[in-house]
Amino acid sequence: MRQWIRQVMASGELFIWGCGAGLALSLFMIAGLLVLILVNGFGYFWPADLVELTLKDGKHVVGQLAGEEVGPKGVPRIRMKIGNRDLYGLDYRWINTDQIVERATPADLVMVERREWGNFYGRIRTLTKEDQTVVEGVEAVWQSLPALIREVESSEGNSPYALLVVDANGREKSIGLSQVVRVLRPNALSTLGKVWVYVGNVWMVLTTEPREANTEGGIFPAIFGTVMMVLIMSLVVTPFGVIGALYLREYARQGVIVRIVRIAVNNLAGVPSIVFGVFGLGFFVYGVGGTIDALFFSDRLPTPTFGTGGILWASLTLALLTVPVVIVATEEGLAAVPREYREGSIGLGATKWETIWKVVLPTALPGILTGLILAMARAAGEVAPLMLTGVVKLAPALPIDWTWPFLHLDRKFMHLGFHIYDVGFQSPNVEAAKPMVYVTTLVLILVVVTLNLTGIVLRNRMRRKYAGSAV
Amino acid sequence: MNVPPLTPEPVFQGDSSPSRGVVPTPVLVEGIFTRRQIRSITDGITRVIIKTGGISIILCILGMCIFLVKEVIPLFLPTQATLVEPIPLSPLEHRVSAALIGIDEHQEVAYALRGDNLEFVSLGATTSSISTIPVRGLLPDGSVTALARALGRGHSLVIGTGDGRVIPVTIEFTQDFQNNERSIAPSVKVGTPIAAGPTPQPITKLAYQSTDSEVRIAALLEDQHLWLTTGRTTSRPDGTTSVSTTQVDVTPGLSGRVTAVTLASRAELLAVGTDEGKVYHFDLRDATKPLLTETTQASDGSKAITALGYLMGDRSLVVGDAAGQVVVWMPVREHPGTNQTKMTVVHRFASHQSAVTDITISQRDKGFITTDAEGGIRLHHSTSAQTLLTLSPQQGALRNTYFAPKADGLVGLTEDHRLIHYQISNPYPEITLSTLFSPVMYEGYERPELVWQSSSGSDDFEAKYSLTPLIFGTIKGTFYAVLLAVPLAVLAAIYTSMFMHPDYRTKIKPAIEIMAALPTVVLGFLAGLWFAPVLERNFPAMTGMVLVTPFAIIASAGLFLLLPASVRHRIRPGVEAFLMIPVIIAVVWGCLETNTWWESVLFGGHYKPWLQTHLGLNYDQRNAIVVGVAMGFAIIPIIYSISEEALTNVPKNLIAGSLALGATRWQTLIYLVLISASPGIFSALMIGLGRAVGETMIVLMATGNTPIMDWSLFNGFRTLSANIAVEIPEAPHGGTLYRTLFLAGLLLFVATFLLNTVAELVRQRLREKYSQF
Repeated sequence: MRQWIRQVMASGELFIWGCGAGLALSLFMIAGLLVLILVNGFGYFWPADLVELTLKDGKHVVGQLAGEEVGPKGVPRIRMKIGNRDLYGLDYRWINTDQIVERATPADLVMVERREWGNFYGRIRTLTKEDQTVVEGVEAVWQSLPALIREVESSEGNSPYALLVVDANGREKSIGLSQVVRVLRPNALSTLGKVWVYVGNVWMVLTTEPREANTEGGIFPAIFGTVMMVLIMSLVVTPFGVIGALYLREYARQGVIVRIVRIAVNNLAGVPSIVFGVFGLGFFVYGVGGTIDALFFSDRLPTPTFGTGGILWASLTLALLTVPVVIVATEEGLAAVPREYREGSIGLGATKWETIWKVVLPTALPGILTGLILAMARAAGEVAPLMLTGVVKLAPALPIDWTWPFLHLDRKFMHLGFHIYDVGFQSPNVEAAKPMVYVTTLVLILVVVTLNLTGIVLRNRMRRKYAGSAV
Repeated sequence: MNVPPLTPEPVFQGDSSPSRGVVPTPVLVEGIFTRRQIRSITDGITRVIIKTGGISIILCILGMCIFLVKEVIPLFLPTQATLVEPIPLSPLEHRVSAALIGIDEHQEVAYALRGDNLEFVSLGATTSSISTIPVRGLLPDGSVTALARALGRGHSLVIGTGDGRVIPVTIEFTQDFQNNERSIAPSVKVGTPIAAGPTPQPITKLAYQSTDSEVRIAALLEDQHLWLTTGRTTSRPDGTTSVSTTQVDVTPGLSGRVTAVTLASRAELLAVGTDEGKVYHFDLRDATKPLLTETTQASDGSKAITALGYLMGDRSLVVGDAAGQVVVWMPVREHPGTNQTKMTVVHRFASHQSAVTDITISQRDKGFITTDAEGGIRLHHSTSAQTLLTLSPQQGALRNTYFAPKADGLVGLTEDHRLIHYQISNPYPEITLSTLFSPVMYEGYERPELVWQSSSGSDDFEAKYSLTPLIFGTIKGTFYAVLLAVPLAVLAAIYTSMFMHPDYRTKIKPAIEIMAALPTVVLGFLAGLWFAPVLERNFPAMTGMVLVTPFAIIASAGLFLLLPASVRHRIRPGVEAFLMIPVIIAVVWGCLETNTWWESVLFGGHYKPWLQTHLGLNYDQRNAIVVGVAMGFAIIPIIYSISEEALTNVPKNLIAGSLALGATRWQTLIYLVLISASPGIFSALMIGLGRAVGETMIVLMATGNTPIMDWSLFNGFRTLSANIAVEIPEAPHGGTLYRTLFLAGLLLFVATFLLNTVAELVRQRLREKYSQF
């Protein structure tokens, strides 16, 4: 045995396993993280069954299951989303399983999505109009609801109708239809119906505005703000990055200075983003913005127009942050253009610029695109510099609308990453907000990962293509 | 791909696009230039554009550093004072024994109260013309023997007369805006006289303070008795008001002659200085029974105390003596846990050449002005313990000085009845290198400490701008992140580059690399809202995991090696990592399931009280472990990808040589690959450090952001970067906090730039070395 141990130690096989374990642990952590986000993010849209529990003390609880665990005293317990914030005050509740007498999923349970106070879980009693009962009976009310809710939308959110509902223990509550976003009976839905609701939920989150301090509703303005900001940034960063790279690679005399500059540019990619934020605040917002205000908008002072954070300053800050990425990638692309191409072009009488414009740049295009896409991915995920240069938790208006000059670069905007921070850490009811944060996270990660994958694939393809030719 | 055809195109196409082919003869186009000329001009223009563009872009990028420095520099600029021409006041008919001077907050109108003569002087910013508004006769007759001013906002004065009465005088400045021009109109209100002692005799020294409900007067009468008078104004039902006073003689208990008297701004403290160099501290919260709390020997050489003044906030007392010494005293708790305080010297300032005659307190910060008998003026700041400004005597001795309400100017009244006015530029008196980085004795603390606390609810708050706790937090967070990330990432990189089957390597590498692009806000959110509570619930199990994992790895590897060779060889080489995944899952799952068991075995039941009693550590939910894991997560892909590159680039023929000479895979790794790639791994570490140092969102979300200095794993911290994110929204543009945060940004910039440069240089050298093979 001792012999064997000595042999194993000498061969080092054990340590190789140790290295393998390091990789395994890293992969495990990464996979766990992705699974966590995917499950929580995609799970958010699923219309889970409403469960009615009968407890030992005769009380009833209606809600959606939200997890189970072994409690602090070793008693298994389940977590229920019980909603009805206006009645109970809390959205979630722990129930020890030994207290539960019966579990059921009756088909008549409804989930009412409201504009305030979160969801209501319970049963429908009647439909009233100005305190007079109009429709009685669950099925009858259910039949007439869709038309009435549609009517609310067309009459600008006003409705004389109200739903009389009861919670699990018979407490009555009247909900005006103007407050109702949607009524669902998840238990009565078929699987296909649930899938339909699921798709509808995804669509709703992607296209509607947030409600209730961003914890409910959609994230459309955040998606729009993120995309808009990244687009403006790309418009700025591409020409600057390409010109910078062209200068460094094609025009500058290669020597110590260019080498130093190259290192400096490279290092700038490693400077913390918050430093760029600080710079953006001091230079763009207060410096440039303040000057613009003093020159062109002095009649509005002291209310700042450009002298405060806005989408333009945020985009410019991020452009500065990502310009090294574009320069480095473009340089790599330029370096990969085979020398024969240039020589051929020059030999045929083309000027330097003609060679660059017609030969080098088209060939290096994948490199430039890679840089741009990676820059966009980096910009989409940055939050810290935005916090100083113009992101807000709730923007009153989008940066584009139908009033002159249509594109409002001075406006503040919403951003997916900041949305995560704000909803998850600044909202008064973090527990209720968590699902929304997971959804936002999922969307953000999908955007960033898609961009990155595109960039990496492009880069790999380019490298393979020119791997042999750059002699 | 748009590769241009190498065969020359026909030249004469008739269109205006420049031809790529060889141009045999210049072709004329409309105008004066030939096509070839146009082409060469275009080439020249683009060359200029790209050169200037490129250089300016690069300069722009590098200009960032310069801009940050430019924003920070004003913090350290010396205080400047400019003397505005002295203004002679109107001559007086008789000598006066007391004089006071003051100025409004815009430094446009000054007033001088000499005896019973109140005079306003317009200092008008644009005109040098002097308009005086004499207010003679406004005051009741009688010789004026002493004057005093209440601390705090507004201009609330008292006149002490030769017959022992005290007359409050309030001066108000009302602003009026007309045609965008500001005009300031002073007004004077004279209050009801109050008797300052039981017998009418001249008042020689006077201190005065008014609060919402009452006025307090400490008056030294000619018979050397110091009387404390509290006047309370009550409104009668018929609308008239009456003043009821209580008077107490505080002289018993004092030894020596009283030479200086001052009241704190809330009138709860009285300090009396004597000619024996003693200072007596009274607590006046009960007006009828002033309580002598402490007596201190304030002057070293038993010199007379000549001036006293409470700094804004009523805690620190500035003492000036006849020898010209200026010292700040503060009540300091004697023993931790008790409320017993003792007046202690905390700051000593450069001595004046002659006796200190006057101390004027700033209403903005912890600054004050001292003047001496020769007319020298000094501006000090208590927190930073520095004398900001020393002004040599201008017009002889000064009778009185006044610090402008915004602490940006001072006025003085000379013996020969001239008004001198200085504009002071002193926006950042509290910032010095030592207040930023070394321990500072703050009010209410027991010893000099490193504290970051930039704001508080009250106005008279002493801002504490020590960057050291933030730098400490940055280092702590980075340290724990690196502690987790480096072993994992380097081991993973070694495995991928050396031992992994090439089929998998091409897939695993991008998968880990894409994690580098994961927005850190996501990691921060998961760390703060998911991992922190999970860790709190399962801390014993997690501890168990850390303990068990190494053994589980060794055991499972050993088991595998014990298998007969025939079985072992059936498994493809280079898949060890995948075989390890089930082991890790089993360990994690097993430990989580046995959480309570771990808790009882490791921590005797409950881990939080155990940590508290055995290690004296408090467990915060958002602590350094959470940050370490989350930030480790963020830097694993970077360290991994750079080290992997360095390891893979070790020339293959070297490895082949080593293996061919009979070294095992492991020996080749240890004695060849690791040594050659170590500079690359070092540079990976540097770049990882750089990322961790500047990471903002994770720290912001996963710690409590409390700026404490404690290495404990179980509490939070605040980093430079998170501090910027937290504080800059409330920092007014150009203020002390704003510039201090810029300094923090600059520090981050420099630190990461250095780390990255070192890494880059190492990497380049390595590349050159490898290129020889």
